[in-house]
Amino acid sequence: MSDGLSRRSFLKLAATASAAAAIPGCEPAARKLIPYVVPDENIVPGEPTFFATACSECSAGCGVVARVMEGRVIKLEGNPADPISAGAICARGQAALQGLYNPDRLAQPMRRKPDGSEVAISWDEATREFHDKLAAAGKAGAGRVAFVGASMGPTLDAITLAWAKAFGSDRVGFWEAFSEEPARKAAEACFGKRDLPVYRLDQAETIISFDADFLGTWNSPVEFGRQFASFRAPKQRNGKLSIGNYAYFGPRMNNSAAKADEWVAANPGSEGAVAMAVLNVVVNQGWVAANSGVDVAAVKTFVADYDPEKISAQTGVPAQTIQRIAAWFGQATEGAVALAGAADPQAHIAAYLLNAVTGNLGKTMVFLADTPPEANSQPEQVKAVIDAMRDGQVDVLVIAGGNPAYSMPPTYAFRDAVKRVGMVVWMGDAPDESAELANLLLPAHHALESWRDTAPRAGIYGLGQPVMRPVFASRAVHDMLIEAAHLAAGQAGQAIPFENAADAISTSWSQLQSKIGVSGTPKEFWDNARRTGGVYSEAKPADAKLVATVWKESSQLPPVPAGLMVWAFPHPFLYDGRGANKSWLQETPEPVSQIVWDSWAEVHPDTAAQLGIQKDYEQTRLFAGLNVIEISTPNGPVELSVNISTLVRPGVIAVPFGQGHTAYGRYAKGIGVNPFAFLPEGLRSISVSAKKTDKTHKLITPLGKSDMMGRAIIESMSMDDLVRGVEPQYGEEPIDQPYEMYPPIAYTGHKWGMTVDVNSCNGCSACVIACYAENNVAVVGKDNVDLGRIMSWIRVERYIPTLEEAGRGPLLQIAPIMCQQCDHAPCEPVCPVFASSHTREGLNAQIYNRCIGTRFCENNCPYKVRRFNWYEPEFPEPLNLQLNPDVTVRGMGVMEKCTFCIQRITAAEINARVENRAVMDGEIVPACAQACPARAITFGDINDPKSAMMKRRDDNKGRTYTMLPGYNALPAVTYLRDLYQEKGKA
Amino acid sequence: MAAAVGQGDFPINYIDVDRTAQRVMNPAGLKYWLWVAFLAFLVAVGVSYWTRQIYVGLGVTGYGQPNYWAVYITNFVFWVGIAHSGTLISAVLYLFRTRWRTAVYRCAETMTIFAVVTAGLFPIIHLGRPWYFYWLCPYPNERFLQPNFRSPLTWDFFAISTYLTTSALFLSMGLIPDIANQRDISTGWRKKFYTILACGWQGTDRQWRNFSMAYLLLAGFATPLVLSVHSVVSWDFATMQTPGMHSTIFAPYFVAGAIFSGCALVITLMVPMRKWLHIEDLVTVWHMDNLSKVVLFTSLVITYSYLTEAFVVWYSQDPIEMMTFHQRFFGSQAYLFGGMILCNCLVPLLLFSPRIRTNMIWLFVISIFVNIGMWLERFVLIAGSLSVAQTPSQWRFYVPKITEVAITVGSFGWFLFNFSLFTKFLPIVSMTELKEGITWLRKSIREPYPYRKAA
Repeated sequence: MSDGLSRRSFLKLAATASAAAAIPGCEPAARKLIPYVVPDENIVPGEPTFFATACSECSAGCGVVARVMEGRVIKLEGNPADPISAGAICARGQAALQGLYNPDRLAQPMRRKPDGSEVAISWDEATREFHDKLAAAGKAGAGRVAFVGASMGPTLDAITLAWAKAFGSDRVGFWEAFSEEPARKAAEACFGKRDLPVYRLDQAETIISFDADFLGTWNSPVEFGRQFASFRAPKQRNGKLSIGNYAYFGPRMNNSAAKADEWVAANPGSEGAVAMAVLNVVVNQGWVAANSGVDVAAVKTFVADYDPEKISAQTGVPAQTIQRIAAWFGQATEGAVALAGAADPQAHIAAYLLNAVTGNLGKTMVFLADTPPEANSQPEQVKAVIDAMRDGQVDVLVIAGGNPAYSMPPTYAFRDAVKRVGMVVWMGDAPDESAELANLLLPAHHALESWRDTAPRAGIYGLGQPVMRPVFASRAVHDMLIEAAHLAAGQAGQAIPFENAADAISTSWSQLQSKIGVSGTPKEFWDNARRTGGVYSEAKPADAKLVATVWKESSQLPPVPAGLMVWAFPHPFLYDGRGANKSWLQETPEPVSQIVWDSWAEVHPDTAAQLGIQKDYEQTRLFAGLNVIEISTPNGPVELSVNISTLVRPGVIAVPFGQGHTAYGRYAKGIGVNPFAFLPEGLRSISVSAKKTDKTHKLITPLGKSDMMGRAIIESMSMDDLVRGVEPQYGEEPIDQPYEMYPPIAYTGHKWGMTVDVNSCNGCSACVIACYAENNVAVVGKDNVDLGRIMSWIRVERYIPTLEEAGRGPLLQIAPIMCQQCDHAPCEPVCPVFASSHTREGLNAQIYNRCIGTRFCENNCPYKVRRFNWYEPEFPEPLNLQLNPDVTVRGMGVMEKCTFCIQRITAAEINARVENRAVMDGEIVPACAQACPARAITFGDINDPKSAMMKRRDDNKGRTYTMLPGYNALPAVTYLRDLYQEKGKA
Repeated sequence: MAAAVGQGDFPINYIDVDRTAQRVMNPAGLKYWLWVAFLAFLVAVGVSYWTRQIYVGLGVTGYGQPNYWAVYITNFVFWVGIAHSGTLISAVLYLFRTRWRTAVYRCAETMTIFAVVTAGLFPIIHLGRPWYFYWLCPYPNERFLQPNFRSPLTWDFFAISTYLTTSALFLSMGLIPDIANQRDISTGWRKKFYTILACGWQGTDRQWRNFSMAYLLLAGFATPLVLSVHSVVSWDFATMQTPGMHSTIFAPYFVAGAIFSGCALVITLMVPMRKWLHIEDLVTVWHMDNLSKVVLFTSLVITYSYLTEAFVVWYSQDPIEMMTFHQRFFGSQAYLFGGMILCNCLVPLLLFSPRIRTNMIWLFVISIFVNIGMWLERFVLIAGSLSVAQTPSQWRFYVPKITEVAITVGSFGWFLFNFSLFTKFLPIVSMTELKEGITWLRKSIREPYPYRKAA
């Protein structure tokens, strides 16, 4: 690479940083971190050290392991000890690194001048100003200090409350845009407590999801990805080999719906009614479990209004569909589970009731005893804080996390309220829209630089420890709050007994030991927690019973939506917008639409025709949207480019959340539309009118055609065929006895290969981001993606089946495609300089130094998995610090490609040689396989028939295939076909 | 027989041949230098865009997945193709003792050299790291690294360099007697220049004997190259598995196409040269007529090849190949294919008419069509096939950007620049051979052209 780290400065850094690596989180009280695997005296430059910590990118609370080399974290991996992530990690979790090393992070404290411009000030000055204003506010009366921000774990949140209390205030709002409020409200209505249950999808035979995108954004996608893969794997149920039945109700096809047997494109807002209709059928058909203890008569009365025929007329969902899916659910003898993710609380109540009446409460849906308290404030509390601000009752407001200025509904009028606050202090990493409102901007530690704890569910206590020294001169939010309380709140401030956040965490963990009764000295407990990333214990299920009052819940029929609706959905990578400043997440195609770097309005072809849009793409790009429509919302018109897709309900304009930032750094700013800005509180849809404009704006996608044309790329087969042993026919017939001019290559040692289960893959793209992080893959930006220059070595390929195909096969064909490492690699003989050459272990190596860029190899590659560096790759500082030192950063003009993470293979082989043993199966895990929540990718030695990878092929003999066999390239990657049920038989 | 025209039975004499040819090389006027300056400007534009491309990266082009090859390789094949007629006319027709070759072969050979020189630039322009282009040739090095002899690009390297060497040798050897002639009549720096190139030619019997033998041998050596060079170029594509390229007919089809385009470009060059350089008496309608017959014949050959190529694909029933051809014929870039058929298969059919074959304006227009058509053919074959390869998710159509356009225009400038300089400083028609065959030259001037009605 041209700028950034020279070899000399790298060595210097390595020398100093390795000394520093032992004490990454040293301030202010030096505490040694305990590495995950090796003790810290063994830290060697060039050898990674692993620190267990907790992911903070969403509320799922996965445990992660940070791979640190020379004092810099270079990769996040799942923590195998953590029961939630179980060693896997999602795309958003991986990209936390780009938050840490974000080039637009605030490097020093700033003060906003009256004219709106920012001026850098020293920490001393900033702290003084902060303390002075706080002291003044504290003296001025009660409630003059407020906090609005994200929850940062139980201990730190308690400090926040204590801090506010020290200044005589209780105005604290922990804000989360995608709140669990409907689920909690429904739980209160049904079971009398606001706890959230845990789900065990792998124990179910049937899943119905009422718009819960559990494989993408809902609740705990990594855990659900793993459970769902198990649910969907063929296994013996009722004495018959089968896969689970799964139906999805929701306006748009997403990752979760793509894997369903049946996707019912329900109107937004009608999920509740449909769910009640399903409940109606279940109850009236007598599928109520005997041991459920439910008052059948009461349920019948409760759902009496929801006759399927009537609901069908109202929602457009056919009554037969409701009855059929209800039958799957009611007749499932081995467990069933209904999930609700819709904004409509009715859907949640119906889902809870469905689980309860069929006896699945405590089985597939479990309430745990001792569930941690709610992290987020209830909307009323947050609103109360904002109202107080608006009334001029607040002098000092601290905003830390959550980006309320961006993600709060317009009815909160947060921006107006902030204007009435004398002093707004923003603490965070990358300055976002909320920072724009602040008078004082204080750079805060990223989550990976600070101490935290998490309590995602009962029995799991995650510990977040800093994994490296801070990148910038930032401070931990709660260090600042504690210091402010101690120095500016007078006597009241001394009530906080901790020196700093680290102290608070260790104190609360020593209390935890006695609370959960773990034996051993406190030091052992603490060290062990830091080593494994927390304490994990089996939580006892709680007694949960339906409360009688649930039958008194109003169960009104929803209004019939008329005309067009805009329905916003969480972007699987950008989520509520927090991912927008991470270029990996912007550049990875949204799995279903395949669009990058933009917002879009997804409409059905029928709706598009009504809007007067026929053809919606440019000739060079066969697919990307072009026409701009104007949507009139209550908060003014919004313009969006149209992506015409059959994967959305007619009459619905689906718009992703996450874009539309007016600040938040170079990658986020000025792209697309923010749906939070016009959606009503607690809803994700709104009736609108839309019209075509004369403008065009091209949506960018790396995708060419969405039609697989029957080629043997992503194959699928029906469950019946698998049982019968019938192989599907794709494309041209494979060659029976291929003519071989050269003798076959003898692999005397290892021969690396992969088995990829298409049936497990849900397109979550964790593998794609893992590859970006591990292999220093460059981000090229929107314009270059449009020119076909995306660099990802592994892509999640998706094809939309024709209507006829979808009538029998899977709803969407999705599979990860990486280099197939062919034996007869077409790329190798054509390279004039041997840059593309075969290794003795069966890899198609690419020798970057030798490559002169003829690009012949990619032309001859049937899988089109090689990438060319059209420009010198850019890693704006400090993103260059994330680069993996084990992997070459490729320069301009050379080809690059997937290597099965050859650096990991080599490291394991060297280790094995040093220890004088053979490489063990499972010792080498490429980044994609490691990240995959669904465990769809297995890597191993083809020469070792006992390897897990070969065993997986053997165990699934009936559904193995290689991509495009007609080319006789003999790939080392074997895919396992996607499985589907013959429609109507499920 | 019709009555004689011109100056009686001997409309042209040895001295007329010499004087006409030498007049072309007289010191040039302003018009000529303006023309050369214009060409130099085109070259400068091309070079500056290329420099920018080397500095910034190939990203300045419209290249991208899956069009990893596009305009530059199209230009390469186009210019290599152009280079073919030279050797065909000078070597193959020499061995066959074809009478009409004498007037046009020098021009064709010159064109060959400069076309190969132009073509040879494109693989380098195309490279991601052009500063390492020499890794393609086997040279002794401390790492014992050699090029991969399984790669068609390595074959290409040898095929093109052999062709360039042979053609250059053939051209410079054929020039010797003519240059000696020039040497004897010129003064100043020209005299020194020609003295070096004339290699001490005295016109002795012994020299003539050796010259003829060497010329014959070189012609024999060059003849297989006519077939081999473009066959090797075609294997760049035919050995690839990419649908739309993976076809065994490519070698003969490329050779026919090369001769087709080469002869067409000879016509394109000859028509204005005859007029501007006043050499109508040396290159007569008879010569042009014969050239256009070659164009017509090769046009029919490639039409047949197109049909065979499509038939074989249909016959194979390979769905992927069929889809690629479907896209080529009916896809969104079908107009390129249509243009190619129009230019290569339909327009040349006009040459069946003797009137058109002997009308210089018609010939010029048709030859331009053929040049465009043959460029399109290569573009459709390369960019078109790659656009619709095996994985539909990667489909994308290629649109060139200003860099490719500028470099392509610059390459035409570069070719014509060299060619124009040649015409001024070296004899563009072979005086020696025209004089040897003066009987036929006289006949072609004296007798009214058989197809032309008497005036």
